[in-house]
Amino acid sequence: MLGVIRSLVTAIGVAARRPVTIQYPTQKKELPQRSRGFPVLLWDFQNDEPFCTGCQVCARYCPTDCMTVTMKDNPKYAEGKSPRKKIVDRFYIDYGRCMRCNICVEVCNFDAIVMDNTWRSVEMSRYDRQDLVMDLEALLAASKSGRLKNPFRTPMGMAHSGWRPKEEREKEAVAASEEG
Amino acid sequence: MALQQEHELETIDLHINVGPQHPATHGVFRMILTVDGEKVVDCDPVIGYMHRGAEKLSENCDYRQAIGYQDRTEYLAQFNAEWTYCLAVEKLLGLQVPERAEYIRVILGELNRVASHLMFMGAFGTDVGFFGTPFMYAFREREVIQDFFEAVTGERMMYNYFRPGGVAWDVPDDFEEHCRYVIDHVRRGVEELDALMTDNEVFLARCRGLSPVTPEEAINWGFSGPMLRACGIKHDLRRAEPYSIYDRFDFEIPTGTQGDVYDRYLVRMEEMRQSLRIVEQALRQMPKQGPVMAEGLKRTIRVPPGEVYSRTESPRGEYGVYLVSKGGDKPWRLKIRSAAFCNLSALKNLVVGNYVADAIIILGSIDIVLCEVDR
Amino acid sequence: MIAGNPWLDAFLRLLVVATGIPLAVIVLNYLERKVIGRVQNRLGPMRVGPYGTLQAIADTIKLLTKEDVRPATADRWVFELAPYVVVVPTVVALVALPVTDDLWVRNLGLALFFILAVSTLSIVGFLMAGWGSDNKYAILGAMRSAAQLISYEIPLVMAAVAVAMVAHTDVGRGSLNLVEIVEGQGRVPYIAWQPLAFFIFTVAAVAELYRQPFDIPVAESEVVGGPLVEYSGIRWAMFMMAEYVNLVLLSILASLVFLGGWNWPLGNEVGPALQVPLVLLKTFLFILFFFWVRAALPRLRIDQLMAYSWQVLLPLAFYQIVVNGLALVYGWPDPILGLLSGGGMVVAVYLTYRAVRRPVRRPLAAAQRMGV
Repeated sequence: MLGVIRSLVTAIGVAARRPVTIQYPTQKKELPQRSRGFPVLLWDFQNDEPFCTGCQVCARYCPTDCMTVTMKDNPKYAEGKSPRKKIVDRFYIDYGRCMRCNICVEVCNFDAIVMDNTWRSVEMSRYDRQDLVMDLEALLAASKSGRLKNPFRTPMGMAHSGWRPKEEREKEAVAASEEG
Repeated sequence: MALQQEHELETIDLHINVGPQHPATHGVFRMILTVDGEKVVDCDPVIGYMHRGAEKLSENCDYRQAIGYQDRTEYLAQFNAEWTYCLAVEKLLGLQVPERAEYIRVILGELNRVASHLMFMGAFGTDVGFFGTPFMYAFREREVIQDFFEAVTGERMMYNYFRPGGVAWDVPDDFEEHCRYVIDHVRRGVEELDALMTDNEVFLARCRGLSPVTPEEAINWGFSGPMLRACGIKHDLRRAEPYSIYDRFDFEIPTGTQGDVYDRYLVRMEEMRQSLRIVEQALRQMPKQGPVMAEGLKRTIRVPPGEVYSRTESPRGEYGVYLVSKGGDKPWRLKIRSAAFCNLSALKNLVVGNYVADAIIILGSIDIVLCEVDR
Repeated sequence: MIAGNPWLDAFLRLLVVATGIPLAVIVLNYLERKVIGRVQNRLGPMRVGPYGTLQAIADTIKLLTKEDVRPATADRWVFELAPYVVVVPTVVALVALPVTDDLWVRNLGLALFFILAVSTLSIVGFLMAGWGSDNKYAILGAMRSAAQLISYEIPLVMAAVAVAMVAHTDVGRGSLNLVEIVEGQGRVPYIAWQPLAFFIFTVAAVAELYRQPFDIPVAESEVVGGPLVEYSGIRWAMFMMAEYVNLVLLSILASLVFLGGWNWPLGNEVGPALQVPLVLLKTFLFILFFFWVRAALPRLRIDQLMAYSWQVLLPLAFYQIVVNGLALVYGWPDPILGLLSGGGMVVAVYLTYRAVRRPVRRPLAAAQRMGV
């Protein structure tokens, strides 16, 4: 009987506490900075174009093959307004296939793609599966509109392992031998 | 003699299908029970409803892409699955994981063990008949742990955080503070769950003495993890074959006496407390700075030819990855030895002779994860 | 109440009961979800209406507009009449239940007997539901539920009878009239002199109401829903209504018989304005207790449940009756009765403790178990 009484007392003790429910959608909990929503492209406000050059590294490393990327010559480079020779022409991500693994962010050479850490990227319900295929406009909208305030861009993956391109390694080796 | 024959009634055995859609089968699992009155005479488990070809899919992915599939195979102890896989690749490559990464792995892995056992407490409580109270208490604590994981990795369930050679990125600045908060909160929650369930006489009446297993039977049937330790065998891979840095921590291995359902529950409850102990020690010993990834890895990992079997102690038992590589950047064969599959294969021996209502409880006490069983 | 035309009087009293039932069901449904939610550290329903108060109405609308599904091979009349056979006896039993010494529909001389006898008829309804559904799970559930209800009806009745035996009335001891039972509790409620009967009554009431820890017939995670598995929409709602009406019935009965009803502690002279809230408050305490127990305890297996009733509750109920009889014959004062009854409670607790700490059955050899 004592065990039953212990259970009952525990239950009543909990009933006296404040409930822990957060009433979504009127109240939403604060998402941490690293929260992984769906990938979005960043807008370079200085040169007024996307950071992305369409190099297709992310599409190649995607485990689910959800990205389609094409590249074109950058008209702004010809005019001398931008340092990028090539720029992204078309970019499609199928959010229905994306598994938000973050590999595209890790491998990007230009830090052009990040995971959207806002609530809008979590509330992605659509009535039709085709509406989940995002084109370049939709992908740039988060960054262009200023909604994406603080994306997670810590050096990760390869950059973390200390790997650097061959020329840099040779330069460092030369600098180290000169000092020592 | 004649009297005995007169009194023998003709009865038919009833086939009850505890079907793929059932509130209590922890996923799409089917049991065909042959029932004589209330006693189960035969049990025929049917699996395969959740087979998604994880092992075959991993053969098409390179070593970094395959980590996402390991998560989804063992969806309650994801860090453990990623860890086993990364250990296998690291053995083939001969990589040395930096200290800080090892400590991060231990902390996250042990908290994941706590989260998995909390899920067990919730689901098991519902099987035994609670109206959802231990489920809510357990999930309240799990939310705290999942929020912590979200702050570190970005995801609440499919982390994709461990990499061969370390972890993908460093932890945030408030890691230690957040972790201590989590440990305190979860410790109190575990004590509350204990007060609700453990001494409850009705709970004892349901679970005590149900399907006891002797140590010889347990070894013969291939048990591992809490099911094995509940029979009295003090075997834990973290002690027997320490992987990573587990030999630096001081923790106990809880064992039971009879191997019945109640002992399995007690073992898991105590394991949660021991895991929190390990997390505390790891937090204290963790180096404050340092790399979290092995040096010199390229963007695409190419593994030299070879084969390796690496195993870790997952919350369900021994989780193993057998990796065959023929050079190149994709595994040739990735075989997963899942603990739940091996524990579940003894279901017939455990269930036969008990009542129908107890069959559900016994199934719940094995703590299966269907994706692991079916891969 | 209007005492003019007896027909009008009866009609108005029945009208109060008839309007009270849906109101009670709606309020209790909402209250149960809120209370159990708080015990589980969460809010209950909050979206429909302010603080979720209109949730029960939304549920009723949903249940009313559901498609009336009936299995093709079901026995038509048995299947369709079963909900009525479950609901009607509990409502009829309310006829004899007084709330104060003036607020009743009919003040029967054997009110206690009538209530317990009529509410037993619901068992037939559950059997009809299980049989008429033509479903293995339903039949299993119906057998279990009939077994459980019958075996817990007996201690319930015995406990009530034990109290009725020693009820103080103006002409001596012993009465089945509920108004007289309450009036005899002016100074001390019967829970003080008969704690064992109270314990047995409460435990048996939890079993009668199909609540944890005795809800195996309607257990969701095993035989999904038991005898109610094939019912949907308004038919299922009638079963739920029967459960809540039964809850109210047993709670009011317990508060009248054991806690002193409207009489203790305020006395008989205070008007209904204070007596009705007092009875409702005691009823409410019982209802809260049932909700609390439901949230905090798991369920017993059918054989454990039956063993508990026949091996623990029934002998103790007999003991209580024997003690009461001896007290009547030898004229023992009430405190002695209370003491002996309290001793019985200790024995009950000890037996419960021993029942669950039984030594373990050693496992059979594996081959023997597999039937090889």
